[in-house]
Amino acid sequence: MKMPLMLRAVLPMLTVLSVLLCASPAQAQPRQYALDPARSWVQFELLHFGTSTIRGRIGPVQGQVTLDPEAGTGELGLRIPTASLSTGIPFFDARIRQDDLLSTSAWPEAFFVANRFRFEGAQLVEVRGEFTLRGVSQPLSLRALNYACRTPGPHEPNPDGAREVCGGDFEAEFRRSEFGASFALPFVGDRVKLQVQVEGRRR
Amino acid sequence: MKKPLLASALLAAASLNGFGTAQAQTASYTLDPTHTFVTWEALHLGTSTSRGRFDKKEGKVEFDRTAKTGKIDITIDMASITTGVAPFDNHLKGKDFFDVTAHPTARFQASGFSFDGSKVSAVQGTLTMLGKTQPVELKSSRFNCYENPFFKREVCGGDFEVTIQRSLWGSTYGLPGIPDNVRLLVQAEAIKQ
Repeated sequence: MKMPLMLRAVLPMLTVLSVLLCASPAQAQPRQYALDPARSWVQFELLHFGTSTIRGRIGPVQGQVTLDPEAGTGELGLRIPTASLSTGIPFFDARIRQDDLLSTSAWPEAFFVANRFRFEGAQLVEVRGEFTLRGVSQPLSLRALNYACRTPGPHEPNPDGAREVCGGDFEAEFRRSEFGASFALPFVGDRVKLQVQVEGRRR
Repeated sequence: MKKPLLASALLAAASLNGFGTAQAQTASYTLDPTHTFVTWEALHLGTSTSRGRFDKKEGKVEFDRTAKTGKIDITIDMASITTGVAPFDNHLKGKDFFDVTAHPTARFQASGFSFDGSKVSAVQGTLTMLGKTQPVELKSSRFNCYENPFFKREVCGGDFEVTIQRSLWGSTYGLPGIPDNVRLLVQAEAIKQ
């Protein structure tokens, strides 16, 4: 991972140059990103007997994001493969796939579709849209915790030749009973917290 | 729900654990492996948080709620690391990171318990990983004991967390691009024997 000295000296200059080039008004148009399957995952959290937090993973999340930070707009469509869930306990995974929880035979995917992006300056802070789980759609707001864009470095694997990678961490909460996933209430809590890792690659 | 089957399997495992019953106040607890997990979080190139989990672990806990003392001994199977991304898992198991062939397990041993009223607020102990032992303190964000209706026994547990610097255990690959700080989120529940 050690960067050659020469490269280290030149890199800041290149960065300044690329910022200047990217900042030209001709570039101010929507940018399209495809989610990176290695870095796009949902973690869910539920409280067990009011005592400890059950965690599970769903993914990779698939989809496209279009962003126009200058205009402060964007839109995205994500597919979340609920049948892929993994808690580390196969027995729980099988139970959660059943009809009174994620019902993955009937609804193998959840969806998040959004076009209300809130920026503070260049920083994305919130995405509001519609979340569909078990075929039930409800409004959902994702709060952006970290959000950053980077240009893939010379030592970062970049098989698709992405010009830019943007991503961050997003958080949301909902009540599973509102989507009809009611098994084991109240021993396992109604409130579900989502922690979403997303990185989108701009071709 | 087939929970009774799982419960009886767990109880059978628990009863084979060979804890002494002679202690007057100190109760022995066996870790409930279905509600005990270590999840780690590390920032990926300053952009998003990568997460992973260790799926196989075992351990025992001695705990005296009156005297506010206890002992924890948990062993984690490092080859059971899972991120959902197979090439990432293989890299983490290899020599660059956990080197699981040379160091197949990590171990957390603790005998320092801090309390806030009747609740455990922190646990002080050591984490042995990659052949090195360093002190760690897990802060509790939640702690509770309850009567579990499936086991018909008392279960105590909670959520704990600590941010470690992996370099203290000699894990330096990719620093500083791959950050030194790794946050550990620990779910733990243990069944009274």
